[in-house]
Amino acid sequence: MNELKPLGIYIHIPFCRSKCQYCDFYSIGGSRDKRLVDNYMQALALHFKETGARCTDYVVDSVYFGGGTPSFFGADNLRRIFAEVQHRFRVDKDAEVTFEANPDSVSEPLLKKLRGEGFNRMSLGVQNDNDDMLKKLGRPHSFAQAVHAMQMARACGFDNINLDLMYGLPNQTPVQWELTLRNVLRLQPDHMSCYGLKVEENTPLWQYKDAANLPSDEVQAEMYLRTVKLLAEAGFAQYEVSNFARPGYECRHNLKYWLGDEYIGFGPAAASDFAGKRYTNRPDIQNYIRGLLKQDVPILSECDTIPPRERAGEYVMLRLRTTHGIAAEEYEKNYLMPFQPLLDVILPLAERGLLKQEKDRWVLTPTGFLVSNQIILRLQEAQEASEPLAKKR
Amino acid sequence: MRLWPQAAPRIEVDQLTDLNHIRNFSIVAHIDHGKSTLADRLLEETNTVDKREMEEQILDNMELERERGITIKARAVKLNYRADNGEDYVLNLIDTPGHVDFNYEVSRSLTACEGAVLVVDASQGIEAQTLANTYLAIDAGLEVLPVVNKIDLPAARPQEVKQEIEDVIGIPALDAPEISAKNGINIHAVLEMVVRDVPPPTGDREAPLQALIFDSQYDSYRGVVVYLRVMNGTIRPGMDVKMMASGAVYKVVECGYLHPKGMVPADALGAGEVGYLTASIKTISDTRVGDTVTGAERPASAPLPGYKTCQPMVFSGVYPADGSKYGDLRDALEKLKLNDASMSYTQENSIALGFGFRCGFLGLLHMEIIMERLEREFNLDLITTAPNVVYEIDKTDGSHIQVYTPLNYPDPMEIAQAYEPYVKASIIAPPEYVGNIMELCQFRRGEFKDMVYLDQSRVELHYEIPLNEIIYDFFDALKSRTRGYGSLDYELIGYRPSKLVKLDILLNGELVDALSFILFADEAYARARKICEKLKENIPRQMFEIPVQAAIGGKIIARETIKALRKDVLAKCYGGDITRKKKLLEKQKEGKKRMRTFGTVSVPSEAFMAVLKMDE
Repeated sequence: MNELKPLGIYIHIPFCRSKCQYCDFYSIGGSRDKRLVDNYMQALALHFKETGARCTDYVVDSVYFGGGTPSFFGADNLRRIFAEVQHRFRVDKDAEVTFEANPDSVSEPLLKKLRGEGFNRMSLGVQNDNDDMLKKLGRPHSFAQAVHAMQMARACGFDNINLDLMYGLPNQTPVQWELTLRNVLRLQPDHMSCYGLKVEENTPLWQYKDAANLPSDEVQAEMYLRTVKLLAEAGFAQYEVSNFARPGYECRHNLKYWLGDEYIGFGPAAASDFAGKRYTNRPDIQNYIRGLLKQDVPILSECDTIPPRERAGEYVMLRLRTTHGIAAEEYEKNYLMPFQPLLDVILPLAERGLLKQEKDRWVLTPTGFLVSNQIILRLQEAQEASEPLAKKR
Repeated sequence: MRLWPQAAPRIEVDQLTDLNHIRNFSIVAHIDHGKSTLADRLLEETNTVDKREMEEQILDNMELERERGITIKARAVKLNYRADNGEDYVLNLIDTPGHVDFNYEVSRSLTACEGAVLVVDASQGIEAQTLANTYLAIDAGLEVLPVVNKIDLPAARPQEVKQEIEDVIGIPALDAPEISAKNGINIHAVLEMVVRDVPPPTGDREAPLQALIFDSQYDSYRGVVVYLRVMNGTIRPGMDVKMMASGAVYKVVECGYLHPKGMVPADALGAGEVGYLTASIKTISDTRVGDTVTGAERPASAPLPGYKTCQPMVFSGVYPADGSKYGDLRDALEKLKLNDASMSYTQENSIALGFGFRCGFLGLLHMEIIMERLEREFNLDLITTAPNVVYEIDKTDGSHIQVYTPLNYPDPMEIAQAYEPYVKASIIAPPEYVGNIMELCQFRRGEFKDMVYLDQSRVELHYEIPLNEIIYDFFDALKSRTRGYGSLDYELIGYRPSKLVKLDILLNGELVDALSFILFADEAYARARKICEKLKENIPRQMFEIPVQAAIGGKIIARETIKALRKDVLAKCYGGDITRKKKLLEKQKEGKKRMRTFGTVSVPSEAFMAVLKMDE
């Protein structure tokens, strides 16, 4: 029998207590309509069954419940979905099983149940330590609730916990942000995600962004650099643009996205990279349910087969988001493209401190991460202008 | 885009109309006085176009004309009209542009006519282009027939306007028809006046062929379509014709009349008539506007007097945004030149932008129109450099040169004396704005000559002013200082000594030659500061700090700094939605492709023009 290939599974739980002011992810704020939930569970189960049949030579080593707010969806529902996944896929016994949670919707019974079912990682949305700010952002919880949730999770046996924070918030200064970070570090998480606020169109925040006194790009950049420094001092190494972890606690699931590994997303708006194709489900739960139960509407919004040359571009784009960076030998071997044109772009940037060399790999520095779009663009331009190695001979 | 739709209605063509029953006329007016609307009504009144096929400003069929609501190209069209005397007439109407930049277009059309209908707005009265275009018509020996339009407007004062026409222009106007082109009032009177007062053409249809090319255009199926007025002789399909200037000989494939919906083939086109011919002409340079077409077997002894070549006044560098499209740009210019003889172009080579052309235009609107036509009709992406006028220089070695581009501006050490072109500007406006106008002209280095009252409500001011000062935004400034009432006309009067300097722009320490320009020395410091500011606004932040400097002969006189980009990162890439991130990057890439890179600095093409837009 062939060796099994690793696979990540993402399950989108598009239900929230309420929509936050800045959020443009697909979710439904408000109550959980029982019929809708039942139908959704049924659709997911069917989708697992169909897909599982095509994944016999894979072993699932990460399952990620994202949202929306999975904790708001309830322990029983999550448990049933996970059981269904285990029924249809070969799930490794050491798989990383993450669920996202908001402080207002975790309780001891919920945590105990999930831990007992094999969920072993929690990602808690804390965002900020100031209740006024949380209110302004439309978060349905206080900081005290976050502290409490953290304590309960530890008590229930979760030894891999991520805390989500946001910076670049209205009226926020770098000093305030640093104090927030220090405060949150006292909770002793294992992993930290710190995201700079990006005001997206189609969010309430977009409507009043000009009056919101948002920090400038300069100030956000300053906050970012302080984050990297402070977290490093606290023992959290940066391993991706916005992600930091104590050694050994990097998120296996998220790394799949950046390292080009395969994953399948279930639920509306979920994305997949599987069997050479990249596809995304339509962001509409009714459509998803109908597409699976009645099979009379397509559930995908797009599906692209990625040719090797484009994969080479993705390699640069995705790897450089991480501290794995890119390496000449790996690049030339996998994509049959010359590394020299990339190196010609890299060297002057490295001289300016935007990239650094670690053994045979090129990695962005924190200041490099800040302008990573620009760097990736330049590298991809150099790449598009170069001839494949095979042709040259 | 096709200027003349292909599908033409088949109309029964009878024998050649006798000369006494032909009237060739154009409509001239100040911009917005209603020429094109009157043309619409004449087409309707004569049933040239079915009511159901009729659309507003039907002759302005260029997309750009319809969008802007102005006429750029003159258009010829044949009308059949049964007059009140019971006889049938053929009226060849040529609609012309009103803006000062397109005077040349007007004067060419006039040579194909014997009369001109002068449209004057009943509330606005005589404006600067009313005068300018009337004088063009009178110079061409045409009978000028005034018509007072928009009489149904509340502010209409037809009697005063007629008096004004008599007093200012000196032509009889008291019997001029009072019409409303918009509402179709009294259109019949215009047609009767044309039949009665426009002289019939003269010419001998048996004589050797002499036909004047007044316009032409390229059609990818038929080759060059030549628009002409036959002065003597007769054109028939199958005959060999010769272009007298180029000597090229072609067999006529088709000739005929011009209809608003297309070309209508005919068996022959005789002296006195206006129409077109096609002859599978692929060599565009063989058919020059102003040339005479004659018969190859029985040529005329001499060509008709052509047009005086028209002098472009404003020059600008035109480069393909994508350097590899140089050949496409050259083809496009060649084809467009056929349709717009007033434009000129010569090859130019910039260190910063590579191969391109120095193009000459009649004015800034003309330049804008040409650029838009190149981009739309030929699907090109262009970079245009700051326009300049033509300077003249006495060099220290005794030679005298003309400078069309800052790229060729001599070293200050070699300049004995520089000269810049001046125009005589005529501005017409209500008297209460005289103070504002004088202030504006003063600021633009204008020299006041005199002021005359046209009537109690309008004055005409004359200024001598450097052309350079009026080509950019003078007209806009005039409009805003006169609440839109001011009108402007100008003509070149010659060169005068001036103090000029060339201002260079350096980005990140490197000179970008395409951004250099020539200006009046006393304005250099103020302009340099403004330009550095403008460039700072228009060049996006990049990974490194970029100094923007302005220099005269190596001496830096202004500086700004474009700060380094601090943040361009996608913080979150949720749930592995790589496609979304890729799309964002693609969008950035597209944006970057529209920029030109100098050294390490990317400059968007708009930045080249933005330096022009100097709000005061």
